[in-house]
Amino acid sequence: MSLWRDIKGTIQPFWVTLRYLFCRPVTICYPEQKQTPAPRYRGRLILTRDPDGEERCVACYLCSAACPVDCISMQATEREDGRRYAAWFRINFSRCIFCGLCTEACPTLAIQMTADYELATRELLQVVYEKDELLIDGCGKNAQYNFYRLAGIGVAAPRGANPGESPPEDIKSNLP
Amino acid sequence: MPTLIIDNLTVTVPEGTNILEAARQLGIEIPHFCHHEALGSVGACRLCAVEILAGPVKGIQMSCMVPAKDDMVVDTCSAEVLAYRAQVIEWLMINHPHDCPVCDEGGECQLQDMTVAGGHGIRRYSGPKRTHQNQNLGPFISHEMNRCIQCYRCVRTYQDYCGGTDFGVLGARQRLYFGRFNDGPLESPFAGNLVDVCPTGVFTDKTYRFKSRLWDLQEAPSICPHCSLGCAVIPGARYRELQRRRARTNKRTNGHFICDRGRFGYGYVNHPDRPRHPLVGHRRVTWQEGLAALQNKLQELGELFGAGSIGLLSSSRATLETQFLTKRWATSLGSDQVCFEAHPVRDQGARVAASQPLDRSASLEDVRNCDLAVLIGADPLSEAPMLALALRQAARRGARIVVADPRPVVLPMACERHAVSTDKLARLLRGLSRPQQSALPASLEELGGSLSQALLSARSPVLIGGTDLLGPQGILALLEAAEACSQPEHPCRTMLLLGGPNSFGGALLSADGPGFDSLLEGMEQGRIKALLCFEADPLADFPDRKRIRAALSRLDLLAVFDCAATATVQEADLFFPTTAVEESTGTLINNEGRMQTFEQVLSAGTPIAESAGGSHPPRFFTRDIPGTDPQPAWGTLGALMGRCADLGALRREIEKADARFAGLSLLDANGEGRRIAIPRSRPVALQPAVANAVAPDQLSLLVTETLFGSELLSSLSPCLQEAIPAPFVMLHPQDAMRLKLEEGKKVTLATPLGDLTLILRIQQDMVPGVAIVPRLRGTALESLVPGSEPLPCRIEKA
Amino acid sequence: MNDVLLTIILIVIKLGLVLGTVLSLAAYMVLAERKVLARMQMRHGPNRVGPFGLLQPLADLIKLLCKEDLIPERADRWVFMLAPAISVGTALLAFAVIPFGAPLQIFGRTIELVICDLNIGLLYLFALSSLAVYGVALGGWASQSKFALLGGLRAMAQMISYELALGLAIVPVVMASKSFSLTAIVASQQSLPNALRHPLAFLIFVIAIMAESKRTPFDMPEAENELVAGYHTEYSGMRFGMFFVGEYVNLIVLGSMLTVLFLGGWHGPFLPSVGWFLIKILAVAFFFIWVRGTVPRLRYDQLMAFGWKILVPLGLLNILVTAVWLLWRG
Ligand code: SF4
Ligand code: SF4
Ligand code: SF4
Ligand code: SF4
Ligand code: FES
Repeated sequence: MSLWRDIKGTIQPFWVTLRYLFCRPVTICYPEQKQTPAPRYRGRLILTRDPDGEERCVACYLCSAACPVDCISMQATEREDGRRYAAWFRINFSRCIFCGLCTEACPTLAIQMTADYELATRELLQVVYEKDELLIDGCGKNAQYNFYRLAGIGVAAPRGANPGESPPEDIKSNLP
Repeated sequence: MPTLIIDNLTVTVPEGTNILEAARQLGIEIPHFCHHEALGSVGACRLCAVEILAGPVKGIQMSCMVPAKDDMVVDTCSAEVLAYRAQVIEWLMINHPHDCPVCDEGGECQLQDMTVAGGHGIRRYSGPKRTHQNQNLGPFISHEMNRCIQCYRCVRTYQDYCGGTDFGVLGARQRLYFGRFNDGPLESPFAGNLVDVCPTGVFTDKTYRFKSRLWDLQEAPSICPHCSLGCAVIPGARYRELQRRRARTNKRTNGHFICDRGRFGYGYVNHPDRPRHPLVGHRRVTWQEGLAALQNKLQELGELFGAGSIGLLSSSRATLETQFLTKRWATSLGSDQVCFEAHPVRDQGARVAASQPLDRSASLEDVRNCDLAVLIGADPLSEAPMLALALRQAARRGARIVVADPRPVVLPMACERHAVSTDKLARLLRGLSRPQQSALPASLEELGGSLSQALLSARSPVLIGGTDLLGPQGILALLEAAEACSQPEHPCRTMLLLGGPNSFGGALLSADGPGFDSLLEGMEQGRIKALLCFEADPLADFPDRKRIRAALSRLDLLAVFDCAATATVQEADLFFPTTAVEESTGTLINNEGRMQTFEQVLSAGTPIAESAGGSHPPRFFTRDIPGTDPQPAWGTLGALMGRCADLGALRREIEKADARFAGLSLLDANGEGRRIAIPRSRPVALQPAVANAVAPDQLSLLVTETLFGSELLSSLSPCLQEAIPAPFVMLHPQDAMRLKLEEGKKVTLATPLGDLTLILRIQQDMVPGVAIVPRLRGTALESLVPGSEPLPCRIEKA
Repeated sequence: MNDVLLTIILIVIKLGLVLGTVLSLAAYMVLAERKVLARMQMRHGPNRVGPFGLLQPLADLIKLLCKEDLIPERADRWVFMLAPAISVGTALLAFAVIPFGAPLQIFGRTIELVICDLNIGLLYLFALSSLAVYGVALGGWASQSKFALLGGLRAMAQMISYELALGLAIVPVVMASKSFSLTAIVASQQSLPNALRHPLAFLIFVIAIMAESKRTPFDMPEAENELVAGYHTEYSGMRFGMFFVGEYVNLIVLGSMLTVLFLGGWHGPFLPSVGWFLIKILAVAFFFIWVRGTVPRLRYDQLMAFGWKILVPLGLLNILVTAVWLLWRG
């Protein structure tokens, strides 16, 4: 019985491969034919802006820490109003593996993935993107979110004026 | 010695140890905020809860507040305790602004760690958050009060430990506010420690603001090079820039803290004017060309004038390795004209100091534990800031602190102050050892008598002196006094403040070799044709600037190896860049004779922030990193002598060559360091100081070190600039009244070196008849060097 | 005199024809294999160079020729350079004795469609296939690399083991046709191909030549997941190309052997004999590719056990049965 099964098990795959030989290929001929990626496709990264039109990225270094291949580098700096932002921000897409860990780490939802996967080039430096190439004009996904209006440090709104905050205390009063 | 069980492990601890520390001995870290090894416990944060199952107290208790007792059984993570801690965290987070991404503490924040460990993720409390306005606390510290968790560590550090008075806790209830009464810079020279102790991001380093995260920093155990105490520090660097220093723990020296000079003096490493390339007559050359030029010139001079025409000068900034190889190289060149300090008084002083019996030399730990400290001619805050903090700890334990000094010595606590003029300091010291034969004025005789009595009867007295004011004779007198006041069971220890971080090493190596004054004579007489300076700046350090400038200009060859743009570097015929402390590995011997090694933090190179002009790093691939020319001075010396640059081999060689450095190759940069084995022999002949004649209508001018601006390297640090005072002169009220001068007004100080316009400060606590100016590099006061005999001067209204 | 000259010219023409056909066949075999495998896996396969990717072999050739020829620093240079040549050489030499068509009559001359009809042609073939081991084993050894060495060792052991089964499978054929000459063996199959007369020998032979040619499921010597590329790990450029071509030439040789020994050689109705011969070789080649697309790789111990414990005893048994049968039939 088991001998019969073995023989059948040896022969059957030959039939399968033979049948497939005459099927239509499932792959597409890429540059002529293109696929529409899913909206959550993990392609080229961008930096988005908050609803106020300001850069979302606060240069917190979390994405660069999360990145398993160390392809993000940046330098944080401070604007006169105390806003922290990236003086420069560089992603080396020749190293990026499009894992999306940076977008998961980002506390301000600044760094987001797009569906653009056509990055191939012979010129390595063309895929080293600087901040001006990464930063877009829109809000991307989660368009409503605005870190500086939720964190109580008085940058986008005066201290104590964000939702859920009471006005600053008078420290010189001893009244209970 | 109670024995107790913590998490099923048995441990025996000294009486009075609390459970938190007992658990730490077992390697169990109980989460906590407010407890700190140096500050003790206050039970404010309620996070360190443990469950005590058996013993005199039971149930959930704060482990930092309960002393360990026999037969206690403690569970540090029972379900109830974990739930309790989670709740504590949750309520501590109620008012937190949730701004970790823009907080510099992020990544090294205890609150972050504890929140994650406690499992608190979502804010359940929906009431409003209380908010605070921040204060501008000066150039060093940023303030973000909304992040506070009321652990009180900052006040305990600032007020209790460091003795600052301008910072405290305000408000009540949940409105507690930790700050100053009004905006303004923090006054304590130890304010930087707030950055280290605050477990949250309320106090962060302003000079490091938004620069990096801990995980991106290159860090290594290092030594502070800004005074002779050799405090343990951890510098942090990123993108070829040294970005901060924080305190490292060394129980024998600094303990847990460092001073602001040490913390914020790091900027010299990144200084934009730092010379980073070998230069032949201000023309940039390669190392090979430079070294070849040097060797050709030396050979030429050697053939023409003999090896004795070459002088070598190292300094107290140079590492032991560099100093050793300097001496070796001199020997192999055949020259005996080598010395390790350009300042003759500091040189001789250090040589005497290095002969102190090492079992009686006091470490900062000994100072913290002393019960009587007598400071004679020592101004801790200016000459060795952490000594002031150590003295304060002694005072907090009830020690008596006595200061005898011509300067208005400020200490962060109350102390007995005696204004004694410079010339009487050594006599006072001699009076301590030989009270009968001293020719002291009556007032001092009384003081001397009572002090020697006190020293004899104290349990652990320390006699503290500074080389600048005492000079070699004074130091010798101090050592003799300590000897005389020592009892076999409680010796009188000594602590001597020296010129630089490795003065001690230079003093050990210089044996009875020439001082710089004899080299100088050689240069003036034309005997010495070449001077090679290894991290030495004779032009700024030798007290008589006119004389040294003339002597240097007579030289055929002035070769300088240095890491900073010093005055001597400007004059150099040949210049070779060396690495800063943080850029290399080496050994320094501090003022108590403790050898300590430091490790390389970063490789030398122009910071990216500078080379990229503030924008992103360049977009091309290259192997040439700008500014990587600096080499450790010992490495260059090795190359000149044709040796391989192997530090381990060099250290073994030093050990073998000199038994005093035994154990050098075994030193661990993370350890406590190691006292050198044997002191040097006492110098034979000390030249008596020649006092300058001061006419009765003149004042004598005393130049002293000051906290910020005197020490070379820290004075170059851009972040310290704001703290460096405008040039001033101090006068006793009597003199001010006599000369009809007013506090805060501009005055003209007429000295043999020229006229200076300064701001007048009137000081009650100083001796009359003296005008005191600080040494401030880069200002009008630049050419006045401390440690020289007082000059005659006059002061009048400007 | 004229006759000798003519014979030589004929041999040269035959040589040229055979060589040209075999080499271009080998090249297109590579393309065919890639295409067929791709389609079996529902891919397109090479389709960029020329129509339907037909110029792909040319492109590959150019690429291989232009690549740098690396020789590992500590390799045995001469052996390293020689090994691929042995591999190709032995494979090509085998064609000397293979009859690829019925004799032609031109201008009254009978032209044998075989380059050289040796009367011990079969033994010659075996000798060459044994020599082929050297190419692989020396290549693996000379590379100074553990992957190559292991690959070479595996190849050696595997080829020697399966040669035994191969030999045993042919003995019944020789016994039946009473000749070592391949032409005679082909002639003896005019009515019925040997595959039907000796089915067991046929089966053993097919399996054994698959192992001889180091193809899936017997491609342990170059098992990528363990040995990178086995014995030719360190080869690059045209030297690698020679191994590669040698492998496919070998495939054609073995296909021809199978055709000659078991599938009736050039015999067949309607079509010219050379046509039949080609069709049969191509069918065998397709079968090999098909197997590669279907069957996974064996484990090395399974391979050895299968060869020694099943194929060799079966081969011996087959000889015995054939001998008894022949004796009984008289
Ligand atoms: S997608 Fe992954 S690899 Fe790419 S930058 Fe983000 S974390 Fe790095
Ligand atoms: S994690 Fe987000 S906010 Fe932080 S540096 Fe990266 S992109 Fe900017
Ligand atoms: S400011 Fe920092 S150290 Fe001070 S109480 Fe608040 S959290 Fe504690
Ligand atoms: S006391 Fe001296 S060694 Fe210590 S940190 Fe301050 S300057 Fe540096
Ligand atoms: S550490 Fe014990 S209550 Fe804070």
